[in-house]
Amino acid sequence: MLALNYALAGLGLGAVAALSGVGLLITYRATGVFNVAHGAIAMIAAYLFWQLADVWSVPSWLAAVLVIGLFAPALGALLERVVFRPLQRRFATRAEGLVATIGILVLLLGVAIEVWGRQVRHPSSLFPANVLHPGSLTLHVDAFSDLAAVIIGTGALGLALKLTPLGTQIRAVVDRRDLAELSGVDADRVAAIGWSIGAVFAALTGVLLASQLSLDSFNLTLVVLETFAIPVIAGLTNIPIAIGAGIALGIGMSEMTLYNPSNTQVLNIWNALHSNLPVVLLLVALLVRRNLAQSGGDAGLATTFARRRAAEPSIPRMALQYGGAAVALFVPLTFDTVSLERAQQVPALGIIFVSIVAVTGYSGQISLGQAGYAGLGALFFARFSSDTPELFALLIGVLAAGAVGFLTGYPAIRRRGLFLALTTFAVGAFVSRFVFQQPYFTNGITVSRPSLFGLSLAGDRAFYLFELAMLAIAFLIMYNLRSGALGRSLVAIRDSEEGASSVGVDVRALKVLIFTVSAMLAGLGGALLAQQRLSFTSTDFDPLAASLPWFTVVIVFGADSAAAAIAGAGFVVLINSALGDPSAYEIVVGLVAAFIGYLPGGIAEAGRRLLEWVMTPTALLRHYNAATAPRVAPQLSDRGQAALERLRATRQARGES
Amino acid sequence: MTGSRLSGIGITKRYGGLTAVDDVSVTAEPGRITALIGPNGAGKTTLFQCLTGNERPDTGSVLLDERDITKLTPDERARLGVGRTFQRLAVFPSMTVADNLGVGAEHRTTAPRLLRIGALLLGILGFPTVDEKRHQLHVDEVINMLQLQEVRDTPAGALPTGTLRLVELGRALCHDPKVLLLDEPASGLDSEETAELQLVLRRVAGDGVGVLLVEHDVDLVFDVADTVFAMAEGRLLASGTPDEIRAHPAVQEAYLDVGPPRSVS
Repeated sequence: MLALNYALAGLGLGAVAALSGVGLLITYRATGVFNVAHGAIAMIAAYLFWQLADVWSVPSWLAAVLVIGLFAPALGALLERVVFRPLQRRFATRAEGLVATIGILVLLLGVAIEVWGRQVRHPSSLFPANVLHPGSLTLHVDAFSDLAAVIIGTGALGLALKLTPLGTQIRAVVDRRDLAELSGVDADRVAAIGWSIGAVFAALTGVLLASQLSLDSFNLTLVVLETFAIPVIAGLTNIPIAIGAGIALGIGMSEMTLYNPSNTQVLNIWNALHSNLPVVLLLVALLVRRNLAQSGGDAGLATTFARRRAAEPSIPRMALQYGGAAVALFVPLTFDTVSLERAQQVPALGIIFVSIVAVTGYSGQISLGQAGYAGLGALFFARFSSDTPELFALLIGVLAAGAVGFLTGYPAIRRRGLFLALTTFAVGAFVSRFVFQQPYFTNGITVSRPSLFGLSLAGDRAFYLFELAMLAIAFLIMYNLRSGALGRSLVAIRDSEEGASSVGVDVRALKVLIFTVSAMLAGLGGALLAQQRLSFTSTDFDPLAASLPWFTVVIVFGADSAAAAIAGAGFVVLINSALGDPSAYEIVVGLVAAFIGYLPGGIAEAGRRLLEWVMTPTALLRHYNAATAPRVAPQLSDRGQAALERLRATRQARGES
Repeated sequence: MTGSRLSGIGITKRYGGLTAVDDVSVTAEPGRITALIGPNGAGKTTLFQCLTGNERPDTGSVLLDERDITKLTPDERARLGVGRTFQRLAVFPSMTVADNLGVGAEHRTTAPRLLRIGALLLGILGFPTVDEKRHQLHVDEVINMLQLQEVRDTPAGALPTGTLRLVELGRALCHDPKVLLLDEPASGLDSEETAELQLVLRRVAGDGVGVLLVEHDVDLVFDVADTVFAMAEGRLLASGTPDEIRAHPAVQEAYLDVGPPRSVS
């Protein structure tokens, strides 16, 4: 009976988890986009509900109607209109859509923190929180109400889509928008409805989840993101299975509290497992289901964000570029202590950003778990630096991060696009929850700065110089990854995995390799960041507070350019110190990332074009045409091209006669 | 260049309830041009993908000379000398034509995996691991043969489909294939380009390479092929010389909808 009561208690959370997973699934079916920002929409809706119901004392039913019935569909339609419709119009790749959703997530997170701060709130429940006791059972009214809301909501939507032409139209628009338009479907309207439906599900999830757990911008968003496990388990199609998986998750979490091991070690692990069951489930689901790409989930590669031609970088040009950058990097040595301390973050953060360039820009693999590797580098350095020379501890940190990167490389072999992105994100979240947040690993850690041949680098200027030396090493590795046969193979994998393997490029080995190298670089950057802070803080390496915004900065500044990544690091530090506000930069880069389609190749590419324009205006035009021709510019068919050439030849002949 | 014999023996591939390829055997002999024809949905492409390693057959095996390569991945097969092109282009759009071909040239190696990974690690540390000059010569040779000199340093993404088919062919040729598999090489080519393609294929086969093409353009097939395999509905209808295939009653029946093949002058 006790177990049954626990199961009943878990029903509420299970219902909301199911709602979250089904919402993700339905958004995908209705829009063709895996909305990574689903969790952020849920979080914003929860805050609005809290603001209305708990701060302004609006009746909760009215608040729910305003938020779920009015705000959410409007937000969905707005996102469709300003972000996703332009992407559709330009036949953007799915990877662009993925980055746009990540941008929206980062943007909404930034906005929420800006408006509501980081304080944890406890919103009131939408449904009455009564408890009934029929016999020896304990029934939570709100849990059953949640469950009823999920089943009625999903069922009503399913019925509506089945009985009206809208369901067919939505599927037609998602599958072949052009053909749907040709047969008279108003694709824009249908897509807007699809996005509105998705946002309503997200908002309902957020409002119900916030009263079940608590309202914290990062946590709520993360939990919803983790319920990506549910559509993955349901094979992206089966809604009843998705509902079942969600409910099982809730009941499972509740039942786990029944087991109380006496051994403290086991208890700690058990508790960590219990409170982080969703991320475990996500990781396991992603690792077990290997053939998702075939079931329509492939989001394509990241080629779009890295437009640069893979020409051999010329030494003089690089010397000029990097020489200039190096001079800029030496300027902080003249700063006062406060400014220098801030500037010290730039090389550390820059190395982490550069690691994202290596994996995403150079070789097309989306990695959203970079903060996990950085944190491992920091943690292992800190653990070992008390007993061993700091440089040796630094090496251990780098190797530890590399080892986890190596392990991540294996799932990356068979995954692309969204599923690779989710897998790397899950690895980052897993490491964060099971290592960085566990007192067993982080208690009593002290971080000190290294000394070199008996020369202490603890002074601010000395440490900054040491960071620059490490940055130089990172750049040397980046140069090697970019040039020669190795560089060409990586770009080949980025551009076309099939094409690369058709000429014997060892795609598997290279993917594992680039993940390992990238994780090692991130580990180095993370260790430097901890040394700069003189402490290890788990929030520095949080999947949502760090990994996603960092990825977004790199995409915005130009995923293909290591120099741009350093500029991005400079930008983040500058904004943070100028505004004294760690989330301000997220709003900026999130906004730009949502519209990255207008800025292919990021700020770096725009800069290159500007430079070419200054030198010769026609080169700009030529470059622009070359960069956009394959996807955007309408091309003559080959027959048309041949006809045109014949015509030209005839004209020429006439002109001569 | 020396060629190899590539054969698929008793290949069967099912997708759910649908049997796409049903117990089909084909062989591409070295130095000869073999064609695989059939109406849409005949299973040509599925069979082709089984030969290249992009699909794993349910039953049957793929042999390269005497070696069973059924379980090898596409890149492993490529290193053993199975070259291919794609129906849906798979060039590297951000690289120049020369670099596209260069990737093919640089991976001509039969070194064991450990050595290759060692070379990658050395590459990260900045040591040159390939003889770039030698590969460059090879690339330029192929560029001259395919008359791609004018677009040598143009990013592939800016070129029209017809040229890109040649770039893909060049990339495969730079890899020194022992057998070359071409998936609809003439689609998107005009008649002049198709004629050039014929010359190139003859020359490649003349060097001893086995050529296998899947093609819709029946005229091209009957012009250029030594041996033709005709498929319909997942099964092999007939195989033989172009003349035998043209005269074969089963083939004529299967192709009745599209009319009898035009005679070649």
